[in-house]
Amino acid sequence: MSLSPFASRLPQMTRRESLKLFGLMVAGAAVPGLAACTSTPETGTAALQNATPQAGHWPTTDIQPIVLKGYGKDPNLIIPPTSPWPKTLSEAQLQLVARISNVLVPAENGQPGALEIGAPHVVDEWISAPYSGQQRDRDTILRLLIWLDDEAILLHSEPFSALDNARQMVILNTIAFGTEDAPVEFHPPAQAFNRLRTLILAAYFCSVPGSKEIGYMGNVAIAGDYPGPTKEAMDHLDDVLASLGLAEYAYTPVGG
Amino acid sequence: MSKADYDVLIVGSGAGGAMAAYELTKAGIKVLLLEAGRHYDPKTETPMFKRNADAPLMASGNTDKDFGYYDATVDGGWTVPDEPYTTDEDSEFLWWRARMLGGRTNHWGRYSLRFSEHDFKGKSRDGLGADWPFEYSDIAPWYDKTEALVGVCGTNTGLDDMPDSAPDVLQPPPAPRVPELLVAAAANKLGLKAVPMHRAVLTRPKDDRAACFYATPCGHGCSIGAAFQTTTSLLPMAHKTGNLTVITNAMVKQVTTDANGQVTGVTYIDKTSSEQLTLPARVVILAASACESARIMLNSASDSHPQGLANSSGQLGKNLMDSTGAGLGATIPALRNRPRYNEDGHTANHLFIPWWGHKAQENGELNFPRGYHFEIGSGFREPGAWVSGDFKGYGKALKDEAKANYGAFVYFALRGEMLPNPDCYMDIDPDVTDKWGIPVARFHWKWSEHELNQVAHGLKTAKDLLQTMGATVGDLPSPEQAIAKGGQIIHEVGTTRMGESKEDSVTNQWGQTWDCPNLFVMDGGVFASNPHKNCTLTILTLAMRNANWLANQLHKGAL
Repeated sequence: MSLSPFASRLPQMTRRESLKLFGLMVAGAAVPGLAACTSTPETGTAALQNATPQAGHWPTTDIQPIVLKGYGKDPNLIIPPTSPWPKTLSEAQLQLVARISNVLVPAENGQPGALEIGAPHVVDEWISAPYSGQQRDRDTILRLLIWLDDEAILLHSEPFSALDNARQMVILNTIAFGTEDAPVEFHPPAQAFNRLRTLILAAYFCSVPGSKEIGYMGNVAIAGDYPGPTKEAMDHLDDVLASLGLAEYAYTPVGG
Repeated sequence: MSKADYDVLIVGSGAGGAMAAYELTKAGIKVLLLEAGRHYDPKTETPMFKRNADAPLMASGNTDKDFGYYDATVDGGWTVPDEPYTTDEDSEFLWWRARMLGGRTNHWGRYSLRFSEHDFKGKSRDGLGADWPFEYSDIAPWYDKTEALVGVCGTNTGLDDMPDSAPDVLQPPPAPRVPELLVAAAANKLGLKAVPMHRAVLTRPKDDRAACFYATPCGHGCSIGAAFQTTTSLLPMAHKTGNLTVITNAMVKQVTTDANGQVTGVTYIDKTSSEQLTLPARVVILAASACESARIMLNSASDSHPQGLANSSGQLGKNLMDSTGAGLGATIPALRNRPRYNEDGHTANHLFIPWWGHKAQENGELNFPRGYHFEIGSGFREPGAWVSGDFKGYGKALKDEAKANYGAFVYFALRGEMLPNPDCYMDIDPDVTDKWGIPVARFHWKWSEHELNQVAHGLKTAKDLLQTMGATVGDLPSPEQAIAKGGQIIHEVGTTRMGESKEDSVTNQWGQTWDCPNLFVMDGGVFASNPHKNCTLTILTLAMRNANWLANQLHKGAL
């Protein structure tokens, strides 16, 4: 029988009771820099007491939005700003994102990973941006980072970054495989992890090596007519048409 | 040329204004053109070959740059700083504006489909909306001239929804891509046709403009002039005549009239000094966009024009139409992990699905009166801020899932004709002014069952297409949920419509207002209906035809 990622839970206690028992400092205290973006910093315990049992210990800390101007409606398109607004992740938060980046897309066979192409800085720029979509992600992702530390402290009395690799992976395994099989208390962090994962993947595939790896071959000037699909691509299409019963309906050029 | 030395004053440098300027200056007529936005030079300002990763937020859109960092639109989008618009409390409406030389032609989709006789005479056929005051045969030669000048690639398909161009007018279309060919086969099985899109993109060099080199999305603008925009074509060509003067940052507030109600010039705000200035003019052409021109006219009420300038019909601001919009997409399992190649092409549809249901409508088989087409979203696009896939876990399996899904998603975007209705119009908000003290436009909007039924049909058809390609498609949204907001497709037209009589229209077929012979409208405002085929080609064509007519009137001394 394979071990469930949730097997390390303390089954006899609710998560909230466990945290009370440990009486640990979490949230703002465990994640340096968070206080800088909250007007009324709460201790993690206070925040957790506000949480419903069904929600596990998903943080309810007050996360203040970024109130700044964006890059405006006429930015320089030829030389985009490299630092359009101040980045707001603390060193500890950046380390957490870096660790997750490395787990999600590790370097392999000479190909850089998400960490090497700078995904944590892309995430930092993203969650520090003064636009509504990014602000929603900021709220989600900062709560996830708090949650990871809370979970680590709950299980091992140490913040996430201080755990060894195996213990980190046990925690990440509880939220990295969707919500279908997970207890309801893991749903909010799992959904948040999903968002962060997509963001880190996007950062990776946007990079020059990532873009090459996914197979984007455009953004090059072509002299003469657009050549269209390669023979290999057309052969594949023929197979697809055949498999879907569409071969007899294949496109024939019209008009002239 | 001094600023006072001109025959015609044009407001707006987009499709209508620039075409009018080109046609008039070519005929030896001196033109002064006012543009509300700043000067813009695509040769030095277009972000060619820029990567998404080089821009903030992976170049994704936000309230500063709604269509992404590199979109060509300057000082505009769904909002313009300090220049609001409003809606009544029951309406949602979006108004895309640009404040730049060339206006929205710098970023438009370049889809350039002709309207047909069927489109121009909808009311004669089904009793709804309004007919246009001319036949297709009257305008066909002007479509040919416009397409040749602008440079449109595509094919004569012979389909009833796509009138042919004259021989040798169209430039060759680019080869279709793999997902488009799969769509074409699925469409064919369902009795529909996918055919080459017509786009205002050069595939052969023309004048000072280079042919497309199949890189850099056209929405960024085009420094080589392959994708048509007035700033690389009509405006420089008009300048070369020596007959054109342009004033940028000139926000027109009103058209001025004399005691007889005839037009005498315009009042505008110099945005650089905030000074209000008045210029005399023998003839004024409004081409500021359908809603901006109507706003100027409504704000130009006087004793002679108590309901707004040239509004004796009461139709000014009425008949506001957009295209319907809705979409449905899915991952096509059979396209996962397909062989890679460069699918940039001319960066938009090489194939699309034109409307196929004229006969069915004629036979009363459909519960909506007007047609739509499908644009196809697909391809190996440059990676951006979104990655497609059902992701779980980490590492190699995660990357493999992303790679498998790359280029496997196909999306159908419906663009359909709406009919004018009494709930869709604009007027002037009595309580709100912009930064320049100009009362702002207020919008009123409600889709009718014609549009909702059409969208329901389109969603079902898109689902059939996706399923024919092997995709799993879930439950469809209701048409009320799926339909885009008014204005969101950026095909807003009709607010100064043309017609056969001064009782029910604002202008005659030449864009000349019935009430003021020396006031013309040459933007989308004059549309009597809004066929599903994207409005810019017809704005350009009408502006060419009507400016040519105006030039003849001026030469004859009739104005």
